[in-house]
Amino acid sequence: MKKFLLMFLLVGMIGLLVACGNGDEEATDSGDTNDTDQTESTDEGSGEAVNITAWAWDPNFNIRALNYAKDLYDGEIDLDLEVIENAQDDIVQRLNTGLSSGTTQGMPNIVLIEDYRAQSFLQAYPDAFYPITDYVVFEDFAPYKIEATSYAGDVYGLPFDTGVTGLYVRVDLLEEAGYTFDDIVDITWSEYTEIGKAVKEATGKDMLTLDPNDNGLMRIMIQSAGSWYFEEDGQTPYLAENEALAASFEALKALFDANIVRLNSDWSQFVGAFNNGDVATVPTGNWITPSVMAEESQSGDWRVAPIPRLEVEGATHASNLGGSSFYVLNQDGKEAAATFLSNTFGGNLEFYDTLITEMGAIGTYLPGLESEAYDMEVEFFGNQQIYNEFVQWTEEIPAVEYGIHTYAVDDIMIVEFQNYLNGQDLSTVLERAQTQAETQLQ
Amino acid sequence: MKKLKRPLTYLFLSIATIISIYPFFWMVVSMTNRSVDVTRGRQLPGLHLMENLTNLFNQVDMVTALTNSFIIAILSTFFTLLIASLAGYGFQMYRSRGKDLVFNILLLSMMIPFASIMVPLYRLFGRISQTAPFLGIDTLAAAFLPTITTAFFIFFFRQNTRMFPKDLIEAGRIDGLSEIGIFFRIFVPTMKTTYAAAAIIAFMNSWNNFLWPLVVLQSPSNQTIPLLISNLGSSYAPDYGMIMSAITIATLPTALVFFFMQKHFVAGMMGSVKG
Repeated sequence: MKKFLLMFLLVGMIGLLVACGNGDEEATDSGDTNDTDQTESTDEGSGEAVNITAWAWDPNFNIRALNYAKDLYDGEIDLDLEVIENAQDDIVQRLNTGLSSGTTQGMPNIVLIEDYRAQSFLQAYPDAFYPITDYVVFEDFAPYKIEATSYAGDVYGLPFDTGVTGLYVRVDLLEEAGYTFDDIVDITWSEYTEIGKAVKEATGKDMLTLDPNDNGLMRIMIQSAGSWYFEEDGQTPYLAENEALAASFEALKALFDANIVRLNSDWSQFVGAFNNGDVATVPTGNWITPSVMAEESQSGDWRVAPIPRLEVEGATHASNLGGSSFYVLNQDGKEAAATFLSNTFGGNLEFYDTLITEMGAIGTYLPGLESEAYDMEVEFFGNQQIYNEFVQWTEEIPAVEYGIHTYAVDDIMIVEFQNYLNGQDLSTVLERAQTQAETQLQ
Repeated sequence: MKKLKRPLTYLFLSIATIISIYPFFWMVVSMTNRSVDVTRGRQLPGLHLMENLTNLFNQVDMVTALTNSFIIAILSTFFTLLIASLAGYGFQMYRSRGKDLVFNILLLSMMIPFASIMVPLYRLFGRISQTAPFLGIDTLAAAFLPTITTAFFIFFFRQNTRMFPKDLIEAGRIDGLSEIGIFFRIFVPTMKTTYAAAAIIAFMNSWNNFLWPLVVLQSPSNQTIPLLISNLGSSYAPDYGMIMSAITIATLPTALVFFFMQKHFVAGMMGSVKG
């Protein structure tokens, strides 16, 4: 009994000691940062390094890019960049909490935001971000990215990676079904479905894998036809009358009716499906390349074709899935942060060369895309110049206004597409989606 | 019929056991496989354990995250037990007008989801940062202070205090102990199973707490284990073998705490008092 009491008190004492020790450390730490914060604005000219922080996700992609940028930075302001890795959902959560509580405490200077979400942040917290319009020549970037990063006449985001899409194809499986790679280049979704049926018959493998709760392929389809869930104002839902959307519903249903879709329920099953060789094609963003190449035994079997197009007016073979841009928060250090971005991501050719040669990352800075580095032949893809192809498609991606409710409408579309699959009439389904979106987003 | 009953019971129990243990089995097995094998659904142990662990310790600062998680969990558990048991004891043992009303209001606070008080709380800590930076945003103290003493633990201790014989308190008073003395020298040792049960719950809650540490701890040096794991899964091409190694390491402390205190835990939940 006594022992227990002693132990209880002992743990408490140790705890308190640790807390105090820690507290002291923290106190001096935060004291230091506070000092620099206060002196920052006055010290910018006098050669003291300005401390800025950046939040981004994915250590192999965005974080690496930021670190390359940090090494290559040679701008006027002397700065010290700390790159902090956070999961994308975590960044969204932190930003939302921080910005809505109205304090800049603990917020970074530079933050990476996915293009689909950018407008919701810019519109919800208009004063929280710092416009970088004067820092960068935005005509040099892919137009669709500028659309996504601008708000009220100013550009807030520095466009980074492209989510340009491609159709990853297993040529060995196609050949078993009597097709060549050329047969799948520049086709329509109905031709794609026909090939899929033949492949299934010949090899027993499905044509593609989809997660019913992820509407990525539908977004790829509608953007390839220059359309989105909203009218040009980015607010008014554009669903019932949207021809591209109707066509994408039909194209997707045809895939399911032909029984050539392998269902998956999360990212690991998605990746597993093509690593295992269970599907013949993967229509998705170019950021999947490293995951495809992870299965070394399939080297030489893969090629990349442009994604099939819808059969509607204005349909193209180029689209986008995901992709993100860097934003500067409106707080101390904003000039340094904007200078850093403009000096690196905003037009440093050497930086963009490093990106492509070191990590196969494709930016959206058009002069950077002319580099010879993009001509490299990739053995895994049968010596195809895949980066070169992606670059060409990047320039062709139709610009659309993502608006602030992309993910909200996505949820509606997922449900309504299931209803359509279950046999409901297409126009009924889309009209109901329109009504739902209008009520929900008011 | 009776003969059949036993094997059937065992069969049912075995199936239930397999179902509940399987995720752990998969976690441990995946720890020894490459990412590609994990996505393929390989169920057999592989040869890549060292490779995964090396990658993990090279890529992220596990030691710092573990240390932070331990500091937060231990402090949070200690203060939760101390304050909640004092409160629970007070509510049960002392008479006061309006005591039950206060207690009911306290219970109502259990209904408020944490997400809804998060923004004001962040604002509060933002203010605190200006005067007392060692307690403000991005400090370990800020991560555990709001989580100590929830209504649940006060309720838990009050319920268990009902079992505590009042005679012991009377005896203590007669022998000249102060009220605080009675609490620490009679109540605490008598109720150790209750404390053990509460400690397990508090420790696990704190160890696995994600949302509040996520928003309030920004610098990598203050990262806790759940935040670190969340980051590991953030890439376009996640390394599942490595993630599983991290999750296994993160599960060990709670598993150990539970195994060591299991006996007390069951007794504590049953509400029995043993001297």
